[in-house]
Amino acid sequence: MLTTRINIFQGVFWLIFILITIFLVVLVGGLLFYGKWAAFVSVIHHPEFHFAVVFTLWTSLLATALAAVVAVPCGFILSRYSFPGKVLIDTLMDIPIVLPPLVSGIALLILFGPVLGDALARLGMDIVFSTRGVVVAQWFIATPFAIRTFKQAFDSIDPRMENVARTLGYSPAGVFVRVTVPLAKGGILGGLTMAWARALGEFGATAMLAGITRLKTETLSVAIFLNMSIGDIQFAMATAVIMLLVALLLMIAFKVFAGTGVRL
Amino acid sequence: MNQDLLEACALTVNVGKFSLKNIGFSMGPDDYVVILGPTGCGKTVLLESIAGLRLLNGGALFLSGKEITHLPPERRRLGFAYQDSLLYPFLTVQENILFGARARGLKEAPEMRRRMAYLAETMNITHLLGRYPRFLSGGERQRVSLARAILTKPPLLLLDEPLSSLDRQTRHATQELLREIHLAEGIGIIHVTHDFSEALQLGSHMLMLHNGQVEQAGKPRDIFFHPATEFAAKFLHGENLIPGKVVGREGKLWFEHGGDILLGPLPECCLPKGLSPAGNSLTMFIRAGSIRLSRAGEAPAANSWSALISDVIINSTHVDVYCHGNGSSWQSSLSLAEWQGLDLSRGERVRLSVDPEYLHVIPQ
Repeated sequence: MLTTRINIFQGVFWLIFILITIFLVVLVGGLLFYGKWAAFVSVIHHPEFHFAVVFTLWTSLLATALAAVVAVPCGFILSRYSFPGKVLIDTLMDIPIVLPPLVSGIALLILFGPVLGDALARLGMDIVFSTRGVVVAQWFIATPFAIRTFKQAFDSIDPRMENVARTLGYSPAGVFVRVTVPLAKGGILGGLTMAWARALGEFGATAMLAGITRLKTETLSVAIFLNMSIGDIQFAMATAVIMLLVALLLMIAFKVFAGTGVRL
Repeated sequence: MNQDLLEACALTVNVGKFSLKNIGFSMGPDDYVVILGPTGCGKTVLLESIAGLRLLNGGALFLSGKEITHLPPERRRLGFAYQDSLLYPFLTVQENILFGARARGLKEAPEMRRRMAYLAETMNITHLLGRYPRFLSGGERQRVSLARAILTKPPLLLLDEPLSSLDRQTRHATQELLREIHLAEGIGIIHVTHDFSEALQLGSHMLMLHNGQVEQAGKPRDIFFHPATEFAAKFLHGENLIPGKVVGREGKLWFEHGGDILLGPLPECCLPKGLSPAGNSLTMFIRAGSIRLSRAGEAPAANSWSALISDVIINSTHVDVYCHGNGSSWQSSLSLAEWQGLDLSRGERVRLSVDPEYLHVIPQ
């Protein structure tokens, strides 16, 4: 409850805050209430929808795990060490954040197509227009968010905490596992959530690298696009609503159970 | 022969633009060494270098005769505690104390449990063992941090400003605890501080650093009364630093200031070593407590001069009297009883005097 008087300055801030909240509620509400309940139930039982849900879940979880594998060492090195060209490399790692996903997708397509395509094909590791391509695209888009968040988490740790552990008998690896990770737990969970959320909703890079093939590379985002393009608005809307609910649940669960806000 | 616990030979450490240069000292198992110096002089860098947390750019370190220069910190097994205790917030007090034992796979070992219980009892933290650090006071945290550092009985404990973040009462109790750890546990201690009173109260040896180099080393009491340089004198709150020169008269050396004040004869011990003092511009160092103050009417005597009281600051334990005479400012400290007996006030003329044994001359 507000117990202090609100002045004009605070009033303007509150007004903007309330307006944007109303805008978001109406936006989500519109999506929820515009669709027909019967169509929604029908979509839920549709085999294509089942495929998209399962496919999206496993590809996004795998992409998030791979993003974590890359982001933990990268975030740690960017946080702890100074070296020539650090600013450049740090910026390079942010590129997927600032590039439109479509452009990222084109870059990936060129790398895994004309540049590395033949070599990968010989190894039986086709990336372009394959399921692997979906994971690679999601991983590429999600990783910078994880690196950024992990770096912030490592930055927030006093290195002297790690020093003390070294003097108490821990090797650098032991310090990382026993001290750094527990201290950065909140930030690591936040980074993983952000990475998963980005992978879950990825579309542009996936479309470019893995293609838009029904029941092959059909994530939920792709399913929405495919069904919108053939005029099946009810299917697209039901899928969109489910994606929205999953994203909301994911964020709320994280904020409640991890006891921290998702930051970037 | 009593072997050195730690021997540091010509240590050089570069940290960015700062360098710790040619630091050398040694200490025995019974020594309590205090490293003193202003902020940024390299105290913590030196301590971290001894612990192995910083790579040496030159020099060598020996622990109980064995070279440890290239050993990583986890193999040196030295206790280390920072000023802000740095307990792990995700562990209870008990888990924090046993953290070092866990690294060696001894967390559940009965001797470690007994040792932990003993330290908790000694440090009066038994009732806190199940708590998390965020529920502890500053003094309690520091006690837990010390217990964590000495659980595995390191031969040497390195302390980085362990008392600086504590209030006065807690600081006194922690000082007592450090003395007890040193004596009862038989652990050598290197204690970094910028507060010379800690050095005087705790240290058996003192190393004063300035700009990454040793300014002076020796017993704290000797350095306190006989600083070797003007920097050391100022850092140790030397109240009276009077410029002048040493002159020879009747076969003895005297300190002359402003042509009017002649102090001495100077005992041999109060002159800078290795310097022919006569005729050189030097600085006279006199502690405020060594300057006596009397009413102006008293007859002039040797080593006394006239001055005017410019300010008086009455503290709870003593009175600081600031005077001006012969072109210099002088400070004298009196007990409350002495001050009351003299019944003086600002603007009055007084006579200052000093016993030659309290004179100390340092190079300018």
